[in-house]
Amino acid sequence: MTLTAHHVVLPVALPLLVAFLLPLVGRLSDGLARLLAQLTTLAVAVIALLLWPAASDGGALVSAMGGFAAPIGIVFYADKLALMFVVALAVGLLLFRPRREHDSTKVQTLWLLLLAGGSGLVLSGDLFNIFVFYEITAVATYGLGASAHTGAGYGASLRYLLLSALGSAFALLGIALVYAAAGTLNLADLSQLAGERLTGPMGLTAFVLMVLGFGVKAELFPVNTWVPEVYTAAPTRVTAVLAGVVSKLAMVVILRLLVLLFQDPAALGFLLLLGAIGVAAGELAAFRSRDLHRTFAYSSIAQLGLMAVAFSIPGHAGVLAGIAVALHHLVVKPAFFVLADRWRGEIAGLTGAGRTSPLAAGLFVLLSLSIIGIPPLPGFWAKLMLFKAAIDAGGAGNLTAVAIILAATVIEAAYLFRVVGILYGTAPAGRPPLRFTLGELAPGLLLGAVLIAATVSVAPLGDGLTAMAADSADAAAYASRVLPGGN
Amino acid sequence: MTMDAEMLGKALYAGAVCLVLLGLYGMVVPRNLMRIVLGLVLLESGVNLFLVAAGFRADAAAPILTAPFTAQAAGPLVDPVPQALVLTAIVIGVGVLALGLALVVRVKEAYGTLDTHAVANRMARETGADPAVTAAGARTPGALPVAAGRTAEDAP
Repeated sequence: MTLTAHHVVLPVALPLLVAFLLPLVGRLSDGLARLLAQLTTLAVAVIALLLWPAASDGGALVSAMGGFAAPIGIVFYADKLALMFVVALAVGLLLFRPRREHDSTKVQTLWLLLLAGGSGLVLSGDLFNIFVFYEITAVATYGLGASAHTGAGYGASLRYLLLSALGSAFALLGIALVYAAAGTLNLADLSQLAGERLTGPMGLTAFVLMVLGFGVKAELFPVNTWVPEVYTAAPTRVTAVLAGVVSKLAMVVILRLLVLLFQDPAALGFLLLLGAIGVAAGELAAFRSRDLHRTFAYSSIAQLGLMAVAFSIPGHAGVLAGIAVALHHLVVKPAFFVLADRWRGEIAGLTGAGRTSPLAAGLFVLLSLSIIGIPPLPGFWAKLMLFKAAIDAGGAGNLTAVAIILAATVIEAAYLFRVVGILYGTAPAGRPPLRFTLGELAPGLLLGAVLIAATVSVAPLGDGLTAMAADSADAAAYASRVLPGGN
Repeated sequence: MTMDAEMLGKALYAGAVCLVLLGLYGMVVPRNLMRIVLGLVLLESGVNLFLVAAGFRADAAAPILTAPFTAQAAGPLVDPVPQALVLTAIVIGVGVLALGLALVVRVKEAYGTLDTHAVANRMARETGADPAVTAAGARTPGALPVAAGRTAEDAP
């Protein structure tokens, strides 16, 4: 079956449609609703994969909504980067799908809204459209954050909502500034006008406002205070998807803004600063945390900081490093949260837990080694690419960032090895052993297997990513594909 | 006429800035969650007003097609795009506000207070403690939830 550019809307339209049908189907049968939702998610993954060959041939698939061509109409732009994240989101949502015992129809509905919003976020080529999809994603995550039905869940979700709504207002203000300055919201159109209309204090203000807005979901400093609260209070399935995939989608939006609109040294420097602070603050806070959920939440902030540092390096080397860090974190962090789900409570109380479930402890060691960056695991290559890009680009800012990341890596190694030491310690007598059921551990093991497979096939993977990064960093190609008549 | 129009444009921007600042104050300073939500409403109104002001032209007509299109060439129209955007933003804002208020109600039901510090303390106590503590009501060091169900093959 061959799919054309018109099918690019399906990853958004299909889950949106089913999401609104689901409460009705759920009245007939919860099982049927669950099946329908999961089939839809699977269909989105398959559609994105089927679009892949066409997207690699022409560079990208562009679809104009309602036949109104850009720059007047709204376009969807599906390049390999966008399709990859759509697949990652769909697979992540399938892997951590709601189980039978929860109020599954409601959660499944939010799950589909998250899929629709997230896909739209990376596919849309219109600034305001991206804002709308960002809000859909956000509203779905507010509900999911509270879906544990605990006081802490409601509180964390409310505080997250307030911060995120504040961020959205900032982002909207930024979008208003861009529109006031350039008179268009189409990203391709804006990329051609950016050089003359979006420079100087006005452009920088718009960029800062939008980064603060979209940065809420991308866990950027200083708008990431919700992260430890929500990730601790939400069900672990939700946390795994939020930390693993959804944060990256917001980061992709920031990447698009940078590449297409703001190749301005001041804007890049601002993102570099936020990223470096995020890395340092995240790892230090992770070191001080006393339970695994918080540790991984703070470590997630640090990893997103790494991505911000990478994207702030001009040229495709930085984009490549950022995508590599993102993909690596996308595999590793959900697996970490799978382990944290059973290993709740204070870390000190986990003494000897590794001896009763060696497979889980082995997985923890593998993930830790990779996230620290021990060769030949993929985490090493991601960090190496980041260092190489930063050092090649030079400049005091980039080199300081490298120094901060190196110091943060040492801290990271210290707290992860501390946990490993506790896991393999001698358990105090008389305590019931802590074991994983195979079903609980399965998603983590699967992700661990993906990590090992990536280690083996690191060369072809690197080539593919390099091509993808070079294409994503090419603003002129983006504009010429969306506006065939222009230029 | 032109003087008035200029004044009106400036007044719109000044009003937007005032609303945004008031909203920010309302979100940062008060400790009552309800007031913070109201601060958010003010802030969003300010942003929406800013967007409308960005497309405002005092000498132009409302962008509504009342006659055949050629007749419109007579005069300029206000830019309809910001108005369409604001309409969308208002709808989103109402949805988020409703969800936020629902969560405020749930927080009040769970903790009996809307004071941010008290809520933060209760949340920290709830998530900082392991599940065994909340179940037993007393703190037993090292107590951990027992794995239920089928154990994994990896158990020795």
